Amino acid sequence: MTTRSISSSGLYRAIQSRRNRGLGGLYIVVVAFLLLYVWLFPGIVSIGGFSKFTQNWFPLALVTMAQALLMLNGGITLSVGPLVSLGAVIAATSMGGFAGTWGGIAAVAAIGLGIGAITGIIVAHLRLPAIIVTLAGSFIITGIALLILPRPGGFIPGWFSDLLAGNTPVAFCLLLVAIAGWKLFMATPAGLGMYAAGENPVGAFRSGVSVERVKVAAFAISGLLAALAGLFVAAQTGSGDPLIGNPFTLNSIAAAVLGGVGFLGGKGTMRGAICGSLLLSVMINVMFFLGFPPVAQYVAQGLIIVGAVAIPELTAQRRKK
Amino acid sequence: MISSMPLLEARGISKGFFGNPVLKGISISLQPGRVHALLGENGAGKSTLINLLSGALQPDGGEIAVDGKAVSRFNPGAARAAGVAVVQQELSLASELSIAENVGLGAYPRRFGLVDYKALAEQVKTVCDMVGLTEALDTPVGDLSLGRRQMVEIAKALFLKPRVLILDEPTSSLSAHEAGILSALILKLRDQGIALLYISHRLNEVRALCSHVTVLKDGVVTADQPLAGVDAEGLVKLMVGRDPGDLFPTWEAVLPGEERISVTGLSAGMVRDIDFSARAGEIVGIGGLVGQGQEDFLLGLYGALPGSVKTARLCERDGLFSDVGAANAAGLAYVPADRKKEGLVLPHSIATNLLMPSLGKLTKNGFRDRGAEKNTVLQLASRLMIKGDTGRPVQALSGGNQQKVALAKWLPLDPSVLLLNDPTRGVDIETKREIYLMLRGFAAEGKLVILLSSDTPELVHLCDRVLVFRDGRTVAALQRAEITEEAIVGAAMGLTSREAA
Repeated sequence: MTTRSISSSGLYRAIQSRRNRGLGGLYIVVVAFLLLYVWLFPGIVSIGGFSKFTQNWFPLALVTMAQALLMLNGGITLSVGPLVSLGAVIAATSMGGFAGTWGGIAAVAAIGLGIGAITGIIVAHLRLPAIIVTLAGSFIITGIALLILPRPGGFIPGWFSDLLAGNTPVAFCLLLVAIAGWKLFMATPAGLGMYAAGENPVGAFRSGVSVERVKVAAFAISGLLAALAGLFVAAQTGSGDPLIGNPFTLNSIAAAVLGGVGFLGGKGTMRGAICGSLLLSVMINVMFFLGFPPVAQYVAQGLIIVGAVAIPELTAQRRKK
Repeated sequence: MISSMPLLEARGISKGFFGNPVLKGISISLQPGRVHALLGENGAGKSTLINLLSGALQPDGGEIAVDGKAVSRFNPGAARAAGVAVVQQELSLASELSIAENVGLGAYPRRFGLVDYKALAEQVKTVCDMVGLTEALDTPVGDLSLGRRQMVEIAKALFLKPRVLILDEPTSSLSAHEAGILSALILKLRDQGIALLYISHRLNEVRALCSHVTVLKDGVVTADQPLAGVDAEGLVKLMVGRDPGDLFPTWEAVLPGEERISVTGLSAGMVRDIDFSARAGEIVGIGGLVGQGQEDFLLGLYGALPGSVKTARLCERDGLFSDVGAANAAGLAYVPADRKKEGLVLPHSIATNLLMPSLGKLTKNGFRDRGAEKNTVLQLASRLMIKGDTGRPVQALSGGNQQKVALAKWLPLDPSVLLLNDPTRGVDIETKREIYLMLRGFAAEGKLVILLSSDTPELVHLCDRVLVFRDGRTVAALQRAEITEEAIVGAAMGLTSREAA
């Protein structure tokens, strides 16, 4: 009886494809950079080259997910980097000792979840600003990491490093698992509630979403992802370093913003954020191969990020007039 | 329908905020199969009552009853369980989510713990058909117009299969066509035995849809009766009429002086095509229901909101102001409604706040002139009767005294036009009296005062002329002898103008 073009069975797919359509421009830029990268460095088109490339990208992708999750819920976290460090340190100190490899993995996951949940409880129930709580958290977590392992060291089993950071694309497969997990979460009522609460907390509350519980869950998952990124970094380097995670804090925000995730909550998509992390990762690699000095890389990175935010904003303003 | 068991009742409930009583022992009873109208002026307590009936607020006294039985803790969960759904004025939607995801939010059908999109699509389609939403269900809500979003909001309430449906000004952003669909839907729901509470400022709608009316005034029920036999004027009379006492100064109209403001065809924000002129020595009142464009009108004159005109002459200067600085330089001053956010810097001292607009003038050799500043502050404080240390933070003052500071800070610039946005809202009686005296004093000095007010008696007793706004246009221009509360409220409700069909 209506002009409705969607049959009821295809609603999920229709919503997803509409979200993809909104990211068309970003996809084109990512593909262009990937082609440039292949042209500069043809070695990537082999199992080994692809594995190494995705291993470089993987921890950034995880922390970007950790960051975007909170930004979509209307928050932000400044303790991503220190959580990566803590994850690495715990992996490197526990795997060689009493816990064994699997115990170490469990310890890293539990600590990431626990710290995330505690942060979330403080933010949601005491109604403190996330940026301040996570800033304080970043000092505390860095301190704990330095107490556990003052200097880089520790032990990661060789087979474990080879498995994650060897010549097989295991990291890429793990990333696919993480993305699948996210898609599953976003298909639950809690996932959609988290999204709605990010943009319109009062409206979501009135609609029956338990806004606080959703926020605590978001922080806990975010903490888990960041700590697991640390576990991976430890496997990659074969040891724990209490300061290795620091650059990830700002890079995770940069990647999420590149991917179109807004600062005010509810705006953006996880697929966009993951593309943003890929773009940032490729950009850093391309500038490296083009022989940019490190300082110039930082400047270029900053300009590209400002541009990425400004261009959609300016075109939107022009369209309004 | 002789009273069957009410589905939802408020029994003698009261509620106050910060010691200010808003509702004083209200009772209302929502019966199945009846559309019940709730009327009242701005600030009569309607929103508070809705929040209590939906469990968003807890009453200080009295009780809420469902199916005749009192519920001890009526929170949002209990309201949901009782089948109460509310269509609020402010939207509760998330713009990035699709229509279907918004309609089902909080009540998604599930399958293995996941949202069952197939069932969701079918259920949402049913309610969307009821409200005439024909857009694809995957459309993000952010792509819809305000009116369509309002329809999504209504669909969202229907999705809960309510037994009691509360509609708070549902038609304010709807087109005539959409409003017609909604009216038919309301009657259909009524015939299905749902209890409806309908809040609207459009009396024609109320008379067409509702069979019973409760009128709130200053937090008490002034009427609770069948609507049959009451005409529109009767309804208006029930809503107004209080004793102004000796709150207002006695004053004589001065002969208006030279023309200070003259615009034709002014459009800014939601204001459309307004012709207006005013002279020195006048107080011109701006009235109407909240949010009909009054504020945009003031901001347009002040250069704070981009607008367009056919012709404009403001303080001997052609054209609209491009920015606030130019308006200030020409002699306009604006006192915003939200003094805490826009009018004052709360943690700063009274003195600093008083000096803020004139800091640029009180200088010696390019540096701040502390002596001149001190004199200015002393003068203003004595004129305003602000006692004590002006070094205290302004947030230490009462609301009324804060408002005096927000107003007085402009006086050192000696503005010839004062644009005041609801200057007595939340101000105690004593300070109101002082502010009224001050305003008449300004007019006597030959200033032009434009007074936007949500307080109707203020417009009646203080103004030389009153303009009433509705839907961004002026629907009445009342001269001194014609200004009565009935005339203002009647025009605001659209009685003298023809309602858009």
